[in-house]
Amino acid sequence: MSEQAFVLLLPTDYYILGGVLSVIASIVLISLTPKRFVERMFAPKDLGITAPPEWLKTVTSTLSFLCLMALIVMGAIGPRDPLTNILPLMIWTGWWIVLFSVIGVVGNLWLYLNPWTGPYRLIFGADRPPPAKLPSWLGAWPGLVIFLAFAAFYIVDPAPEDPDRLAVLVASYWFFTFACMAIFGGPAWIAQGEAFSVLFGLIARASPFGDWSRAAVGFPGWGLWSRPPAVGLGVFALAILGVGSFDGLKETFWWMAQIDVNPLEFPGRTAVIGSSIIGLLLATVALVAVFAVVIWMGGVIANPDRPDAARSRFLFLFRTFAPTVLPIALGYHISHFFITFLINGQYLLAAIGDALATGANFLGLGDTRITTGFLNTTDSVRSIWLTQAGFVVAGHILAVLAAHHAALEVFGTRRRAVLSQIPLGIFMVAYTFFGLWLLAAPRGA
Amino acid sequence: MKSDKAFGSKLTRRSALTTMVSAAGLAGASTVMPNIARMAHAQGSAPIKLGFQVHRTGIGSAYGRWYERVAVAAIDRINSMGGINGREVEMIAEDDGTDPRRGAEVLERFANLHNCDAVFGPLFSHVVIGSAPRAGELRMPYFVVSEGHHVASGILNRYTLQPGITDVKSQVISMAPFIHDNLGQKITMIFPDFAFGHDHRDFFTAAIEAQGGEVLEWIAIPPTETSFTRYFPNIPRDTDVVYHVMVGPAVLTFVREMGEFFGGQGPQLFGFIDSLEAVDTASPGLEFLEGSYFWEGMPRFAQPDQTPEETAYRTAVGVDDNGASVDDPRDVSTYAHMFGVWETLAIIKQGMEAAGYQGPDDRPSLIEAVEAITEIPLSDDHPQGAKLFNGRTHQVFGHQNISQVVDGRMNRVHQTSIEDTLYEDEVDYTEQSF
Repeated sequence: MSEQAFVLLLPTDYYILGGVLSVIASIVLISLTPKRFVERMFAPKDLGITAPPEWLKTVTSTLSFLCLMALIVMGAIGPRDPLTNILPLMIWTGWWIVLFSVIGVVGNLWLYLNPWTGPYRLIFGADRPPPAKLPSWLGAWPGLVIFLAFAAFYIVDPAPEDPDRLAVLVASYWFFTFACMAIFGGPAWIAQGEAFSVLFGLIARASPFGDWSRAAVGFPGWGLWSRPPAVGLGVFALAILGVGSFDGLKETFWWMAQIDVNPLEFPGRTAVIGSSIIGLLLATVALVAVFAVVIWMGGVIANPDRPDAARSRFLFLFRTFAPTVLPIALGYHISHFFITFLINGQYLLAAIGDALATGANFLGLGDTRITTGFLNTTDSVRSIWLTQAGFVVAGHILAVLAAHHAALEVFGTRRRAVLSQIPLGIFMVAYTFFGLWLLAAPRGA
Repeated sequence: MKSDKAFGSKLTRRSALTTMVSAAGLAGASTVMPNIARMAHAQGSAPIKLGFQVHRTGIGSAYGRWYERVAVAAIDRINSMGGINGREVEMIAEDDGTDPRRGAEVLERFANLHNCDAVFGPLFSHVVIGSAPRAGELRMPYFVVSEGHHVASGILNRYTLQPGITDVKSQVISMAPFIHDNLGQKITMIFPDFAFGHDHRDFFTAAIEAQGGEVLEWIAIPPTETSFTRYFPNIPRDTDVVYHVMVGPAVLTFVREMGEFFGGQGPQLFGFIDSLEAVDTASPGLEFLEGSYFWEGMPRFAQPDQTPEETAYRTAVGVDDNGASVDDPRDVSTYAHMFGVWETLAIIKQGMEAAGYQGPDDRPSLIEAVEAITEIPLSDDHPQGAKLFNGRTHQVFGHQNISQVVDGRMNRVHQTSIEDTLYEDEVDYTEQSF
């Protein structure tokens, strides 16, 4: 609450204007840049290293599995305080906030850290034909449904941090996933049904190292264009952004006014379950719909009288451009959770130093009192706000550049690419404004 | 004072987990040895389990963090003095998410899963009001630290008590004599337009009229408002004092805009520190607070006449003379309220010892023992000051403080008598059966 009071004293109108102008400037700049220069910019350099052996993944994944099981046990029998118990801290701060962000910077660590592929290989081997086949037309839709259910849990559920409830849910999801892998085959379920493998694979594409399907480094987002995904994956990419946006929106005075809740007397999550679920789904569907219209308009503007242009068919364009919102989703994620990270990261370090809650203090951090003093002064709050805004703006600029690069590849000439990007550019500028407004708006929950 | 060495030790989350370990760690301090020995003597008996219903997440989490810090320090101190009835005290924290329904669920866990002997800790009124009926059904002594008037108003039950912090009604009415005698008799009230603000409006209006003053204007601000300049012209020109109780994220904006409106030439300003709890009053942009007055439950800044008892308390909870964490001078505490946790735990100890508390069957005796408490002197157990407990209304009464902002510090300029804070009983919970 207190940092919000300081934020409202900051000249955020000017900061927002600055952020929006930066995005507009980057659109203009990239539009004026010659095609070959853009292509060179987005061409990754091969790192020239051979891929690590497969058994390494099996080892790290199995270790990750063992750690997860230990965390689940600690969640069930450890302290009841969600800021002392290591399970909720590891899941929500260590995994959802930190690992998500790290993957967006260094690439798809989840290939090594997921807790399933190692045990799967140890039990079933590498080439076992699965008992049932997951229809390929399903694409990543099963993963998307699971992701939305997860989003509902962390955004809507009254107590997602409750240690023993979380232990049950994490254990259940592990067994559910492993069972699906046993039925449909590990690789198939990981690619189509395991929500976080799909999610992190997408987010990793925004990183300078791509999703690690190729050992290369380049301008952040070079991996967004390389393989246009299936429609389901494209919708998934938009859903990541939609969910992240609603998570911010639902705390604002504006949203509380829509659901008739007094923001100064927030009645608690149990009182807003229905409206939050509806809002979450509406926000996601609305984003996908608006984005689809924007992409359709871009295709129409760029391709007057070009019936031959099979490549410009709407679905192809949608699949091509949907991943370009991933840098925005990443920027929002880091920005949205930045303060939670600064506070709960302290609790996490203390919990890691005393992982078994025995009073141990391995890292010497248990004696450090948690502080939120950085939320109590104008200067530190300004620094934090500008950092958050920086992530939002950087995400939008990367998205603009990646979308322009994709447009050059799809539409062939710079002129047509620029025309095609007019609706998307307007959308990006509007979304930048929205993202920065979310940071500056008064919040009540 | 024999546990002063315990106060000096750093109390952290780990000590909450291992109260026995930390007590044993103090064994080197010879003065506490007899207590350790006494507790070891009662080793056969299980610990007293106190459920801590804490706002760990949700809108109350900033308060919850400090309430937890005080609770850990207070329980460490109690254990270092030999526990309760020779038994170690174990604190079990459950997060209520600052959510009333979740609060009721947490009470069930305390009763059925953890077999707690009593529950303490919630601050936010809606959580207390949502949880208290369940406490009554579970026959679980429920010690709230909420400062709401809901306990004394009679809407709760015999199992719910507020012995560690005064209620808003007594706080508000006790301000009237000072304001009338020192600041002025014509008041304009500015408050948020919902229950919290309405309580201030109703209690203070009656109290100032009883003093012979009058409220010229009530300015109710919609809770979603974030800009206030357009309301200030409604302040009558002959207003002596503006009484303001804004809360929420726009509170600093309110203070700044009011300062800009009056330009230092306006009426006296009187507010409740609730608006600025945990906010550094020396922050840039808050210069307009200079010279204005605030109610404080316990003065955030160490006063020249600070009692030794309060000095010991400050040390125990790790708060410096400016009311901030000793580890981070920017980390301002919720000093005006959090003493309530410390004093509530002292009352639980006193009540359990008076009742010869053995186990859950003695919960009614615990309630009766606390109801029998009347005068509470200033002590290490009650560092905020002497108090008077009303067993019929389950509400404690105590001295209130009025401080003036001078150079960004808050200096106490008045302390009310306990009599100033009293009002007629609105309920007699002792008539309710267990």
